[in-house]
Amino acid sequence: MLKALGTEMKSVIGEEKIIERKVEEQPHPLGNGGKITVLPSTEEEIAAVVKYANENGMTITVTGTGTKRGFGGTIEDADILLSLENYHGIVEHTVGDMTITVKSGTKFEELQRYLQKHKQKIPLDPAWPENATIGGVIAVNDSGPKRFRNGSARDVVIGLRTVYPNGSVIRSGGKVVKNVAGYDMNKLFIGSMGTLGVLTEITMKLRPLPEYESLLLLSFPKGGMEEIRSFAVRLLDTMLEPVTLELINPVLAEKLTGQSTYTLAIGFEDVESSVHYQEEYVKKIHPEAQLTILQEDDSREFWQQFYQIGPKGTDSPSKLVTEASMKIGVKNMAIPEVIKESVHLQDMYNLEVFAHGGLGHGLCQVHLKGAAQDIKSALTHLRNLVKDLGGNSVIKYLPLTLRKEMDVWGEKPSYFFLLEGIKKKIDPKKTLNNQRFVGGI
Amino acid sequence: MAMKGLKIKDKHIRSLANLLSGPKPILYHKEDLLAYDCDGFTIERHLPKAVVFPKNTEEVAAIVKYCHENMLPFLARGAGTGLSGGAIPLNNEVVISLTRMKKLLSVDLENRIAVVEPGFVNLKLTNSIADKGYYYAPDPSSQYACTIGGNVAENAGGAHCLKYGVTTNHILGLELVLPNGEIIEIGKDGIPDSPGYDLLGLLTGSEGTLGIVTKITVRVLKNPEDKQTVLAYFDRVEDGSQAVSDIISTGIVPAALEMMDKTAIEAVEAAAFPVGHPRDIAAVLLIEVDGISSGIEEQISKILKVCKSRNVREVKVAESERERARWWANRKTGFGAMGAISPNYLVQDGVIPRSRLPEVLKKINEISEESGLRIANIFHAGDGNLHPLVLFDARVPGETERAIEAGSACLKVCADVGGTITGEHGVGIEKREEMRFVFTDEEIVAQTDVREVFNPDNLLNAGKLFPTPGRCAEVKKELKASTS
Repeated sequence: MLKALGTEMKSVIGEEKIIERKVEEQPHPLGNGGKITVLPSTEEEIAAVVKYANENGMTITVTGTGTKRGFGGTIEDADILLSLENYHGIVEHTVGDMTITVKSGTKFEELQRYLQKHKQKIPLDPAWPENATIGGVIAVNDSGPKRFRNGSARDVVIGLRTVYPNGSVIRSGGKVVKNVAGYDMNKLFIGSMGTLGVLTEITMKLRPLPEYESLLLLSFPKGGMEEIRSFAVRLLDTMLEPVTLELINPVLAEKLTGQSTYTLAIGFEDVESSVHYQEEYVKKIHPEAQLTILQEDDSREFWQQFYQIGPKGTDSPSKLVTEASMKIGVKNMAIPEVIKESVHLQDMYNLEVFAHGGLGHGLCQVHLKGAAQDIKSALTHLRNLVKDLGGNSVIKYLPLTLRKEMDVWGEKPSYFFLLEGIKKKIDPKKTLNNQRFVGGI
Repeated sequence: MAMKGLKIKDKHIRSLANLLSGPKPILYHKEDLLAYDCDGFTIERHLPKAVVFPKNTEEVAAIVKYCHENMLPFLARGAGTGLSGGAIPLNNEVVISLTRMKKLLSVDLENRIAVVEPGFVNLKLTNSIADKGYYYAPDPSSQYACTIGGNVAENAGGAHCLKYGVTTNHILGLELVLPNGEIIEIGKDGIPDSPGYDLLGLLTGSEGTLGIVTKITVRVLKNPEDKQTVLAYFDRVEDGSQAVSDIISTGIVPAALEMMDKTAIEAVEAAAFPVGHPRDIAAVLLIEVDGISSGIEEQISKILKVCKSRNVREVKVAESERERARWWANRKTGFGAMGAISPNYLVQDGVIPRSRLPEVLKKINEISEESGLRIANIFHAGDGNLHPLVLFDARVPGETERAIEAGSACLKVCADVGGTITGEHGVGIEKREEMRFVFTDEEIVAQTDVREVFNPDNLLNAGKLFPTPGRCAEVKKELKASTS
């Protein structure tokens, strides 16, 4: 079987771009692999592979470097693992227009480092920026604490080139920052988990690098959620313009700051005078606060560490301990409740739980470590809490065996038939990332 | 119910009337329908079959269900301020007017959200929360009249979207009636990232062809601590557009960066809100920055420096809120002001990469000369969104057609430099054929495929947004000539 696949692939793409798995090699414990790996380096090659697979009834898993390998999906191996790792680079950067077009396999941090030279940035802050590819970040709609001020992938992406399952290249959006010609098809692909097409080129709008940044770490040793909540409400009702307002649970705070208390990470980015002015203002709102202020490099270093706290799909999961991550969306002011519950989970299920959530954007990330059975119970517990709060929850990381036991996407929405209808129109043969998304799409 | 006892001959109108409550919930006499034969795009007019005024979601759903079961074409309409003909009943539609669904349902400032009915007027939202120091960011020039439902359909922009984004960036949840009458809710309570494809994003800007929005959850923002507005006059358009690029590349993200050319200035100065712009200048820039006070002073001094380095004739900072408001009124009524210098005008809505501005303006000038029609330019220079206003006189035979052609030629220029044919007004009827300037047939089919999922019978707002398959340019011209 493998041999035949290899031979077939060689008719589509150069031999040097195919990696056949050795017989003794085991499938990856996170699943979402392929019996054979192809590494195209051009859009034509990507289209050729996809078209061939689609016409010949083969399935494809799309991947970048694999940081999101544990996210969604119930299949160990598709026929082909289409890796975009060798498809990278900047296609066009128009400095004056503040837009950039890049190939999807380009690593996020590489882009930011390049843009830094032009005092610009992509206004996103995803996890594992050193490893994550921009294609992966867009395909899963990853965002971080700075989403509060900067928005998410849907606010940043202005154009895409996407290889459809039939091999045709479909452009959506364009290269300008404002565009309402036709449907906003970009939105369909952002967060679609690669189930509709293979993103090849991504055009984004950029923002200037802030002249100055600082980070206020505000401790709440008493741990009263009402105190945190009312402080946040007061802060949000001022004219201040924080970039982040992220609540961190004590265990995670200890790892990041050495202090085991509920901590609010309030970031400011602006000209220096304005940043300091806002620091002083925060002190006025909460004079008795225990406050640490990290300036410039210290602030950047904090965030760098922060983006590496969750499990990473490129690592092989430990055999001794199970890891999981859940992304939770609730109303902004329900965030403290979720973060507090994460602390209960530690004791209830004997887990290590890192949790943080944004009081300005309503999303929490909860990372759990412990025994498989306890992880499952804790995830169910959290999911029920979120349901009671009227929110949504998605398990972002879980080993394949457990993903087969619990639906990482939760209940289907009432309008599921629309989602399914879109998938059927674009990928009727389920060639791309089959079963990776909501309701087994 | 209110229509009972009246003798209505048409059985569909009778049935529709029975689905509605409230006073005068349906119009069907020709003289009443005339007001609904077009929207802000006045070149093409078609009469609807009837106009209905539902009061709530259930009534919308009942009408839609009836239309669907009886294969009657239908469409939704807000205030009718759309500029591309999206609410024009091309197929004798039943027009569902949402103007009676105009309540502000709730405001939750702690979570920074508000829930409105689709007929709620854009500016009213900001007015309702201004006393608490909050506002709704998208501010199309028609904001005193246009509805938020219409804004969602068109993904409306505005002068301040350079920094804060367009409608789609502020929509957190929608309740909508699908073309078969089913009611669905996406993004409940404004909670982000509902699992599944981003239907909110897809629906926003779908020009009323995928569903009818009946409830909208929007994000509201806190007012900035301070804002300052600068007016700068340039003797050369090139200097003005270079100043735009320079401002952006200093790392400032202005809240707004607007530009008007000489012809536009002539019009706004002749209209209701003149501010005394010199008539002999080539371009005026209106620049606004907002944020934390101490940061703003720095930005303003940078902006003044840039303007001076680009040979500005005069540059001034607004000294009072009154002065600022006057400058903005002058700019925001710019389209209508054309009426002061021309019997008719046609507004276009191309977008270009900011850096191509001088070259594009030159080409628009050439189009003006070739067509023999004056073209005024008002635009959101910061994001490259141009509004060429083609001035014409519909009483002169052939001039309307020439204006349409000149408008289309402007869009071709935008598309050719890597831009697009519409930044905020939508495709509607007006720019259907121009879609081919930016999309291949295959890409257009990819979009109509999505429409089929929502609107399989194409009863909802048919004939909009997409070019007629296979119709060549000659036929298109004939068609336009025969309808105008």
